[in-house]
Amino acid sequence: MKRWNAGLSNNVDVGANLFARASNCVRMNSHLHEPQFRVLGFLLFALILARPALADESSVTTDNATREAYTQPISSLPESDRPQFYKGRGLVRQVWVIPPSENREIAGLGPLYNRFYCIACHGGNGRGFAPASAQEPMRTMLVRLSIPGTDEHGGPKPHPAYGGQLNESGVPGVPGEGRAEVRYTERTIKLNGGEQLTLRKPDITFVDLAYGAFPPDMLTSPRIAPPIYGLGLLQAVPETDIVALVDAPKPKGIKGKANRVWDAEQQKTVLGRFGWKANQPNLRQQIAGAYVGDMGITSPLFPDENCTDAQDACKHSLSAGNPELTKAQLDASEFYHFALAAPRQRSVDDKQVKHGAVLFKQAQCGACHVTQLKTGEFAALPALSHQTIHPYTDLLLHDMGEALADHRPDYLATGREWRTPPLWGIGLAQKVEPRAGFLHDGRARSLLEAVLWHDGEAAQAAKAVKAMSAADRQSLIGFLESL
Amino acid sequence: MTLAKWIAAACLLLLSTLASATEKVVVLSSYPQEVITPFEAAFEQAYPQYRLEILWRQSRDAMTYLHLPHSPVDVYWTPAQRNFAVLAKEGAFRKLDIDLSGLPKRIGGFQISDPDGFYVASETAGYGMAYHPAELQRLGLPVPTDWKSLTAPAFSGHVVLPIPSKVGYAPMLVDTLLQGYGWEQGWSVLEQVAANATLADAGATFISDDVGSGRIAVGMTMDFFARSAIANGKPLRFTYPEKVGYSPAHVGIFRESTNLDGARAFASFVLSDQGQKLLFHPDIRKLPVRPVVYAGKPKDYFDPFASAQRATYDYDVSYGLMRQELVGALFDALITRQHETLKTMWTAIHQAELKAHNDPRLMEARTHANWLPVSATQVNDASLQQTFIKRDNQTATLEQQWDAEISKHYAQATQLAQAILGAKP
Repeated sequence: MKRWNAGLSNNVDVGANLFARASNCVRMNSHLHEPQFRVLGFLLFALILARPALADESSVTTDNATREAYTQPISSLPESDRPQFYKGRGLVRQVWVIPPSENREIAGLGPLYNRFYCIACHGGNGRGFAPASAQEPMRTMLVRLSIPGTDEHGGPKPHPAYGGQLNESGVPGVPGEGRAEVRYTERTIKLNGGEQLTLRKPDITFVDLAYGAFPPDMLTSPRIAPPIYGLGLLQAVPETDIVALVDAPKPKGIKGKANRVWDAEQQKTVLGRFGWKANQPNLRQQIAGAYVGDMGITSPLFPDENCTDAQDACKHSLSAGNPELTKAQLDASEFYHFALAAPRQRSVDDKQVKHGAVLFKQAQCGACHVTQLKTGEFAALPALSHQTIHPYTDLLLHDMGEALADHRPDYLATGREWRTPPLWGIGLAQKVEPRAGFLHDGRARSLLEAVLWHDGEAAQAAKAVKAMSAADRQSLIGFLESL
Repeated sequence: MTLAKWIAAACLLLLSTLASATEKVVVLSSYPQEVITPFEAAFEQAYPQYRLEILWRQSRDAMTYLHLPHSPVDVYWTPAQRNFAVLAKEGAFRKLDIDLSGLPKRIGGFQISDPDGFYVASETAGYGMAYHPAELQRLGLPVPTDWKSLTAPAFSGHVVLPIPSKVGYAPMLVDTLLQGYGWEQGWSVLEQVAANATLADAGATFISDDVGSGRIAVGMTMDFFARSAIANGKPLRFTYPEKVGYSPAHVGIFRESTNLDGARAFASFVLSDQGQKLLFHPDIRKLPVRPVVYAGKPKDYFDPFASAQRATYDYDVSYGLMRQELVGALFDALITRQHETLKTMWTAIHQAELKAHNDPRLMEARTHANWLPVSATQVNDASLQQTFIKRDNQTATLEQQWDAEISKHYAQATQLAQAILGAKP
């Protein structure tokens, strides 16, 4: 217990330590089914959940539970900062224009791109989804590409002709790189209580490749667009706290690894905390990377167009400016992301939700989906400083097993490792975008499907959920939907 | 393997390649994501043989782009009525040879589609007032029933009015007042509303941000901005004025389309029952132009065809389009650049009216306040309109003259009103 407390001393409060104790207590007895342990566990967790911890974060969360839930600024956003927030919002919603254009400030799409505005993929600031069949284009999803080896900074080595990402579209005169088609293999699994569920595993094929066939050892990784709210708060969590979680004691088989990635602005390797594999160090780089990678829009951070040496037409295509996204625009985009609130948990007093929260911990989900973190000093938006938040992530990489593996290393992340995605707001995902998918490639159409794909370090958690009664599973999902 | 088998295999490969290939339909549009995304998904589902490629351009930029040689565009689909009129005149469109049955060319007195059949309305939107009921109640203000309601001094500081030279939909909003009330009275109403208003230079956001939050009680806007904000949880309501003005969007197929079948498929889809019903989506909330789909409209959805049976509003679209820049420039001269002066002047006049409504100086003050540098006849002068479309040195000179004269008249109006009030001029 001492070690547990020491490991988390910088990032969990007294309540969280109480939770940790309770969690360990229940975990130690998790193989038992004696009613007294279950009752004890339930009481302990009910006590924890009843404490007013959520009230701490009301200034940086939103109670808006509509389809606009992910677009709300933190309520403590100073009035004087609202123009910058609105400017950033305008850019995130802006449809970008192929140069030349009279509208210089919104010109720069391409030469190669996936989509022409941010929220084409992050609809309502939420997550994307996978195509239902090979006939449907990837509208909110893309495929990362690389070849074996690493680049000069230890990141994925881009393919010499296609680069690091398949751009399906090109401006007039520049051929799009090709198309990725998704087909699924389905299997039905049976859960305790007789419930059956069909899981679908995607298989990606590439057609109409315009710059030559892929080599046999091409590494590919399909990714749906992740949600973009609450990220400022995650950036405000001190690095030391995240690194401390690596060494924090965890249930058997669960590890947790911090990614170390290249920071283009600082020109050094730092902690990775954003992206499906924690391969981006901060929001500014994540945003600038998406602008250039997904839309072909250059920025002060990435001033070169996304053309490889093998793409002649691309290299000779018009650029709208140098860079196309100005520093002021990048600043506004970054600020908007900083200031987007995360939804606050709803129905906290609901009996089923409370029970689901207990089951969540009992199934060891909270070992990686860490309930509570604290932000540190955050100069870029002081309102985010020193907040107790409930993102349900440790921002660390975990081996998720073979079925979810993309076999494409990304800095220190192996092909089987993925960053624990935050769960806050996840219950509203399909309210914001009815087709929202879960897991990195959107294969899961529901939260339960997503849970059941967990393997590797999370195998025991998935096994526990499979073994639950149907009513318990419903409670667990009810809890997730309350987030 | 025999040669015949090789040929058969090659044919099979070719066939499968052809079967999997999709043809691009290139559509030029300025629609926001909220409109593009559902149409894109539904069209590609209905016509899997085509892949929609949206070329996005704002209205003015679109015209520049379309005049470049070899612009690879099949369809123009956007709310930019004047662009359609100009392009049709230039012969850029082919006559629409798709099924247009069930699509009226007018809503009451409003013509929405090209009488010559080169482009048709694909949806429309109505102008009106979004308001925050709780804020109105808190202020003790009535729900406005017409634009004129907003001229009442009690609305001072509680209205937001978009600037036509900055906000895409505002020119027609302003012109519906000018045509509806008449040139002189229309400007008088606009100036008095503006004296009560905050001027907005961003089109959509002030409704959800300012009126939606209750910071401002009423906003002059288009129905769909308010309706989609309401559908997404904002505590707003929307009301139309006594006579409703409309702003239609259109679809047209370019004469030089290289994928004519795909272009026809897209235009037909946009106008179909399925395409028209997409307009009911909470993020879109535009008004379908196919009356039959209103049978399945969401609760409380406005039906312009039913409304048109109650009140007619004759609006000459070509008038409005030709003088759009000139009216925008006048608005900036009379209102935007004089906003603080305007507030002071109308406050003084309203107070003077309360104090001494029979004072003959009031009429003189109003005459100065309502002075216009361009008359109802002059505004339809083609060469003057062109001066403001092209914008050159002559335009700047004219605007400087206007500014000087307007300042003089507003100062005189203010002095007269303040004299009635007994204040020092």
